[in-house]
Amino acid sequence: VRRGGQVRAEPAMPATWKERLREAAKEQSAVLWTIETQGGPVGIARVSRHSDVGHCDVQDLAIDPARWGRGYGGDATLAIHRYLFDHLDKRVSAVELPADSERAKRIAERLGSVEFGRGHDACYRDGAYADRLYLRLDRSAWEERWGASEREHPPLPGGIER
Amino acid sequence: VLGPRLAGRNGVELRPPTLGDQKPHLVWLAQPEVTRLWAPRHGEWTEEKAEERFKRQCESRDSANWSIAFEGETVGSTGIFDIDWVGRGGESGLFIGRHDLYGRGIASEAVRLRTRLAWSHLRLHRVHSWIALQDRGSRRANEKGGYAQIGLYRGYAYRSGAWLDDRTGEIFPERAFTPE
Repeated sequence: VRRGGQVRAEPAMPATWKERLREAAKEQSAVLWTIETQGGPVGIARVSRHSDVGHCDVQDLAIDPARWGRGYGGDATLAIHRYLFDHLDKRVSAVELPADSERAKRIAERLGSVEFGRGHDACYRDGAYADRLYLRLDRSAWEERWGASEREHPPLPGGIER
Repeated sequence: VLGPRLAGRNGVELRPPTLGDQKPHLVWLAQPEVTRLWAPRHGEWTEEKAEERFKRQCESRDSANWSIAFEGETVGSTGIFDIDWVGRGGESGLFIGRHDLYGRGIASEAVRLRTRLAWSHLRLHRVHSWIALQDRGSRRANEKGGYAQIGLYRGYAYRSGAWLDDRTGEIFPERAFTPE
């Protein structure tokens, strides 16, 4: 999990996490979720939603390493984007990933995200730098690939669809 | 932290911000010539909030902040933010509030001074930026300072009646560093 982001300037302990959760609850420009399956938490996700513009950024998506390989990251990503496109009416969702994060890249590619930039030697961990990928998913690409199967709710009656 | 005083060329200087430097920002932020590429062009631009912002700058441990002075007068601000001291990277930003001084090379000199310090004292490995492609002044200042374009976020935001693109660039300060 640590390879996915930068080293935090605070210890990962209950006291600091309580404070972070309090701050997250007050935050108006970002949405934080627990990813849950079968009644228990398996990860977290956070999205900034930039109220004044038509785009948003997936800032964090982390799954308990003991549960990797079960599709939870991909399922959570779909659920988040249903919310972003069907509910918040966003035009674009963007994400930044370490270029050697194969699992994250697979999820993004399956989702339909495309690369629009690459930062060189931008992520440092394990004694070396890796590039950072800048990816975007446009609403049109989402609707083409997932619109038929991944609506958050079916269309409303009386011709109202959104 | 507040950045150290850096004397530049052609009357440009970066200097540690003061509380007094915050007040002209309140005037500049109300001028459409300055904010036309920004959003949302409204905010709580009061002296009280300016004081709070200055206090945050003073207390910040992951940013370096400067006022930009031209011929002794404060005309804007710049900084490197979200510094990752382990990965030695950060994001730069720059603001010239005096639109009557646009085109005088002030931003370019500020970028040069900032980048030099990023290596000579902060030892940053990489600094990146996001600039509206249509913001010609900022874009040119970064290009002249050595930032290379690494991506283009098309249709990033709607401003002044049009969708704008956001250009992201990066610089490796060691390579751009020239001892003086």
